[in-house]
Amino acid sequence: MTDVRERAPVYLDNAATTAVDPRVAAEMAACLTEEGVYGNPSSTTHVYGREAARRVEAARAEVAALIGAQPGEIVFTSGATEASNLAILGTARANADRRQHLVTARTEHRATLDPVRQLEKEGFAVTWLTPGPQGRLAVEDVRAALRPDTLLVSIMHVNNETGAVQEVAAIGAACRAAGVLFHCDLAQGVGKLPTAFAGQIDFGSFTAHKIHGPKGIGALYVAATARPWLAPVMFGGGQERGLRPGTLPTHQVVGFGRACALAKEEGGADAIRVGALREALWRSLAHLPGVSLNSPLAGGSPAILNVSFEGVEGESLVTALTEIAISTGSACSSATAAGSYVLRSLGRSTELAQSSLRFSLGRFTCAADIERASEAVKRAFMRLRSVAP
Amino acid sequence: MTGDTLSPLTREFFTCLARGGRFAEDLPVVSGEAGREASGTRVRFHLRLTGAVVAEARFQAYGCPHTLAVASWLAGELAGRRREDLLPGSPGDWARRFEVPVAKLGRLLVIEDALRDCVAKWPADTPLPGGRRKMGA
Repeated sequence: MTDVRERAPVYLDNAATTAVDPRVAAEMAACLTEEGVYGNPSSTTHVYGREAARRVEAARAEVAALIGAQPGEIVFTSGATEASNLAILGTARANADRRQHLVTARTEHRATLDPVRQLEKEGFAVTWLTPGPQGRLAVEDVRAALRPDTLLVSIMHVNNETGAVQEVAAIGAACRAAGVLFHCDLAQGVGKLPTAFAGQIDFGSFTAHKIHGPKGIGALYVAATARPWLAPVMFGGGQERGLRPGTLPTHQVVGFGRACALAKEEGGADAIRVGALREALWRSLAHLPGVSLNSPLAGGSPAILNVSFEGVEGESLVTALTEIAISTGSACSSATAAGSYVLRSLGRSTELAQSSLRFSLGRFTCAADIERASEAVKRAFMRLRSVAP
Repeated sequence: MTGDTLSPLTREFFTCLARGGRFAEDLPVVSGEAGREASGTRVRFHLRLTGAVVAEARFQAYGCPHTLAVASWLAGELAGRRREDLLPGSPGDWARRFEVPVAKLGRLLVIEDALRDCVAKWPADTPLPGGRRKMGA
């Protein structure tokens, strides 16, 4: 019998989401049925609730450990998008009478850009920074953007489209020196790169489904020192220290905890292996005519390779690649005809932004996947190039 | 894992890309083009003429799968057509045939413009077989 994996398209869209690790799924399943830990963790009047609460707190400790935080500094949310909204809208609206200036970058994920744009509509001033061609911000540019009325800087750790890595510790130090809060979107960094950023940032957003955990659960790290600056944006139950109401989904929280524990134990080895596969993929594509790299090879995420294929349109290339599951740019911007706003912000032409593919690797990517993907890309690219004007 | 976003016909023509490319440089052809890469669509048709009719057509295109599929199909439909009836139907007809999403109809207009450019560049007094010339068009 043919292995399903041999017939299915090669999955190279791990920056969009990952398969749940079977070890994670097993722990989650044990929280769902009547024999399992299905109680409401807020119902501490009975053993079902108390056991659920115990499992939630154990998971909270595992999540906190991945970024070097204390368990009490973790607020569970539905994902990184909600966590970023809470950090950005929650600090801005709680302090609008004192400070009304924000700093962010044009290459941030829309989970940051959209709430910042909303605040701009509400009267906040925003400084939009532009990274260099390799996607990296100059720390000096961040420092220069700070003003006496700056409330919050929001800069991501790892760019979701290019894999460019920002100097989080240095940006955090600049913000602290100026008395400015610093929010960092950690979604693409955790589990792939060292992310013990607690103490260097005030708020950090991340999510389980990027690290082989379940969808629908994420966290906001809220440094103990930053808690007084943050107000909730949702109301209705007082859970999560009053910052995020709603019944906690025990199975998802437990899955998130296990995913974080696995990432802490195995993330370093995974990153080395995946990084080598990424380099092999680039080596196999680099000689093609009109191919250019949008990801930093050195110092970037080991899991993301963004490549432009001059002369072919991205949607056609993706559609021709029936053997590979992949995105043009980020999954969130794939439908945009203008091409990736991130790549255009980095100075790439509209044509190159339209013709980019993001290959993102994960724990379950293997060498055979990369070989198969490489051959498929070469075939599709040359075929489309043969009919290009 | 199914759910192709392309119709079967679009998938068929996109997969084959029949009549893609250009003719040998020494062959007399009429070429027309429209669009630009920066706008997401650029299409070029090459018509090899025999007398006053298209003997064979080729296409080149940069664009989405629907653009490439429709251009490929049209290149096959052009053979035997004369200058005055070069266009096989309208963009609306092509959109229905290939189930092109409404958001992409503009791309079919680029294809139509490329064909109209062929018409504009087609010499009015095309030589006919036997050395006679057909005046006007």
